[in-house]
Order: sequence, then structure tokens, then C-alpha cells
Amino acid sequence: MKKYLAIFRISFAQEFAYRLNFIMWRVRNVMQIILIFFLWSSVFSDPSRVVFGYDKARILTYVFGILIIKAIVLSARTVDVAGEISSGDLTNFLLKPVSYFKYWFTRDLSSKALNLSFAVVETTILYFILKPPFFFQTDITQIAAFIFSLILAIILFFGLLFLSNLITFWMPEQGWSAQFLVIVIITDFLSGGVFPLDIFPLVVQKILYALPFPYLLFFPLQVYLGKISGSMMWGGILIAMAWTLIIMAGLNFVWNKGIRKYEAVGR
Amino acid sequence: MDKAIIVDHLVKNFEVTEKKPGLVSSFTSIFSPVKKTVRALKNISFTVEPGELVGFIGPNGAGKTTTLKVLSGLLYPTSGFTSVLEFDPWDRKPEFLKQISLVMGQKNQLWWDLPALETFELNRAIYELPKRDYQEALGELTELLGVKKILNIQVRRLSLGQRMRLELVAALIHRPKILFLDEPTLGLDLIAQQKMRDFIYEYNKRSGATILLTSHNMDDLINLARRVIVIDEGRIIFDGALEELVNRFAKEKIIKVSLSQEDDIKRIESIGKIKKIAFPEVILSVPRSATAVAAAELLQNFPVADLTIEEIPIEDVIRKVFRGEGRKKLLK
Repeated sequence: MKKYLAIFRISFAQEFAYRLNFIMWRVRNVMQIILIFFLWSSVFSDPSRVVFGYDKARILTYVFGILIIKAIVLSARTVDVAGEISSGDLTNFLLKPVSYFKYWFTRDLSSKALNLSFAVVETTILYFILKPPFFFQTDITQIAAFIFSLILAIILFFGLLFLSNLITFWMPEQGWSAQFLVIVIITDFLSGGVFPLDIFPLVVQKILYALPFPYLLFFPLQVYLGKISGSMMWGGILIAMAWTLIIMAGLNFVWNKGIRKYEAVGR
Repeated sequence: MDKAIIVDHLVKNFEVTEKKPGLVSSFTSIFSPVKKTVRALKNISFTVEPGELVGFIGPNGAGKTTTLKVLSGLLYPTSGFTSVLEFDPWDRKPEFLKQISLVMGQKNQLWWDLPALETFELNRAIYELPKRDYQEALGELTELLGVKKILNIQVRRLSLGQRMRLELVAALIHRPKILFLDEPTLGLDLIAQQKMRDFIYEYNKRSGATILLTSHNMDDLINLARRVIVIDEGRIIFDGALEELVNRFAKEKIIKVSLSQEDDIKRIESIGKIKKIAFPEVILSVPRSATAVAAAELLQNFPVADLTIEEIPIEDVIRKVFRGEGRKKLLK
């Protein structure tokens, strides 16, 4: 455990080595929030207007909520795995008594901790400036389920991203990291990062709920908002757990195949 | 434990996709890739005693680095048996990894944007070193390598030589019992090379670690390795003492004569191959078995003032090995 604490610490220090980069990244996030706020505000300039079953208050709650959950779930360093495999830097880790999965999961957590601490401050400030309607959940069951589904989402996203990075073992050409951006964008779309999933026809929603994606962003937020509760909520958590187990088993399997192919090239 | 390393009938094949230059062929290779099997190691066997320092030599692409990678658990062998400290390297058990280290020239494990000390601290946690052992090893290594003053400087701001030495500290901080060095002096200037060599020698002596090293630098081998393994095209073609390599490889000896007066070159040429003439000095190379006869003939028929018989310099022998000339001579 102690070794992963040290990894957490050095990863944190590393993020701060590029202070300007980090600040620009945060500025981008703040700009994005402001942009989205004014976009939806003008769409709903008439307060009684309802689009896809969302009125102004509900859509703004959704948009703000999703931004915070994104900062927690989607901020990850694991995209660098592909680069390490193709450049041969993976060698450094294979030579050490350290679990590569746990190493990257720790680095993800450190990245999330840093991003979250900034996101909380920014969101609080913006909340008081923009004064959007915001919903505070008080039901303890919903909050507990929300936290649990959020943890599942973090692990699930880690597994999905790691798994897609392992393609590099078989196709070691550089530049895969760019492809993963596409994967992240698709994930973003299918998990409700761009707009609420319940505007889709019911059939499409049913299909989506059988896939792992909604459990990354949409599902945890709906649980927080209390829109999904009771047996539907527990059912959803079960599906998310099943997917997490499947992805993790797959990750293990593909990894073991992959390192046999690994040629430790590059240096 | 009697042997530190055992390698028995080791084979390693790689599958590579061939790519021809040009737009059309790079397009067709997406749909019908041409696969080729490269046989990097063809059935090699050797053992190493604890505390030995062994040099691997051979031309580029002979399989030296592949061997080190298999032994450190990075590559999965196609077939054959390997054992390092009685572990199967491929299992990569923590107890195994805590006792080995692989240092490759120009490989970075130091965190580029942070001072080297941060990486060392990280390694301390990863290898679970007690604080005392860590401080002791750090003190000793930084002293030996002369890097005490640059521990707190961002790695990116250091020179290659400084970085290489710090890489070595990072690789040795857990005091490995087995050390694999791949081209440890690559890219260093002459003084830095010498420092590195002194260090390797000192480390081997002080810690009793088993060291396997590959190098293209002749001085590395002559100064460090008592025993050399010559590997070429995936086969071991020589394994023994460095001096023995000369005896086995050099089928000729060198005769140096000083003549008291000029003589006909043609006549001298009939005795042996002339390597150099700078009158009064003549240097001849003659077949090993005919050395005595040639020397007697020279003394009898020429105005010889001085005559010495020497072995071919070790540098020449190794140079020939690097050029891949060992193959035909040693395989006979």
C-alpha cells in the first residue's frame, strides 16, 4: 500500500511541473461551463418552455451535475499507457515489483484528486455568480447509492480505457493515443456527457442500459437527482457491477496475452 | 545455490511484419501483411557463477540484448529453460524482481520533470527498502558516482553523462544481486566512460553482484570482463576467458624484426604476410604453427638486429568479432 502512496505523491508533483498547462486546462473547463450555461439559458429564454421533458431548471441541474461527475470519472492519465507500450517505456515497470494496473489506477486517482479539488472551488464560485437552480439530495439511501455507483463508474472507465490502450501490443504504431480521444468522445456521447440519455426513444434507451456506458455518467447523476430509485436503481447497480467484473476479467486476459507479444523495443 | 544463472537450449523467435517503402505497398500491407519469423536466439546454453562478471560481445543484431531481456523477464522465451537465482524470470515474482536490475543505455526511468531524488524515493517505496538501507545505498552510490550535488536538480536540466550516472543510482538503489548492463557507456565521453567502468568494477568487487554486460566499447570488455561470451546470429560461438579468445580466434602470430640493412621486400614476403614496413622495422604475420620455422628462416637469411614474436592485439580480435568475422573462424 505504501508504494502506491508514493506513486500518488510523485504523480501529484508531476502534474504541478506543468503549472501553466494545468491552469490553461482549468480555464478551458471554466469557459466550458460558462458557455453551456448561456447556451441553455438562451434555449430556455422562455421559462415555461419544455424541451424533451426538460425545463430550464432541470437541464441546468443536469448540465452542472454532469460536469462535476465528468471531472471525477473521465479525468484519467491511463491514456498514456498506449504510448508507453509502443515506446518501450513499459519495460521500466515490468522490471519492478509493482502492479502496472494499480500503478495507473493510483495515477488516475491522483489526477482526479487534483482536478476535483479545483473543480469544487470553481463550481462553487460559478454557482454564486450564475445562481443556477440546483438540486441538493437529502435522502441518505440515494446519496449512498450515488457514491457507490460513482466508485463503480471510476473503475469501469479505468478498465475500458486501459483495455482499449492494450491494442498497442498488436499494433505498436505511434499515434494510437490520438485514436483514444475518439474513444473517449464516443464514450462521452453514449454515457450522457453531451445531453441527457432519456431524450432518446425508449428502445434506444433500453439498449443503452444494457451497455456499460450509461453507468459512467448518466446513471450516477440520475441516482443523485433521485430520478432513478428503488428496484430500478439496484438493478442498474447490479448491471454496472457485472460490467465492471467482465471488463476487469477481459483486461487481465488481454494483458497476459499482450505481454507475451511485447518485444521491449525502443531502447 | 551453486549457479546464479542457468540458460539451457534457449530459443526466441520474433514475428515481424515486413513493410516495403512506398504508398501503394504500405496500403496493401494493411490487408495482406507479410509476416516473417526472425530467429533471434537459436538454442543457446550457458551458466554463470555468483559474483562473476561476464561480457557479451558480437555484432549488431546478434542477440545480446535479447538474451538480457529474456533473463530479466521481459521477453517470453519461445522454448528452452532459463533460471536466474532459481527463479523463472518470466514469472516476474516480486522476490525475483527485488534482486535484479537491467540498465540499458539511454533508457529513462527518471521522472523527466522532477529532481532525481524523487525517483529514488519512489523506488525506495516500490522496492520496500528500510529507510536505513536506502540511506546507506544512496550515500554509497552517489559518492562512488560523484553525483551528490545534482540530486535536487530537475532531470531535464542535466547533461547526458550526469543523467546516465543518476539512472545507475536509480537502478542499483535496491542493491541487486544480479545486474544486467546493456551498453553502459553508450554515448559517454572518454572520462565519463572511465568513471563508469571504474564504478562497475568497484560495484562488482564490493557487493559481489553477478554482472552480465554487453558493450561495443572494447575498453569496457578488456578492463572489466574476465570471461566473454561471443554471440553471433543467435548462436554462442565462444565462451571462455578473454585471453583464450585470442588463442582460439587468432590463427596467426606477429613477428617484429629490425633489420640492420635494407633488403628485398619480395624475399621477405615469401616468409609471411607483411603488415607494415617502416625500415628498419618490418612487421609480419605468420600462421601460428609455422612461427618457429619463420623466425629461424628470418634469423638465418636476413641481417636481423632484433626479433620479437607477439600475439595479435586483443583489440584486433574483438574488432573482428564485431565485424562478424568470428563466425567462420570459430565455428570450424
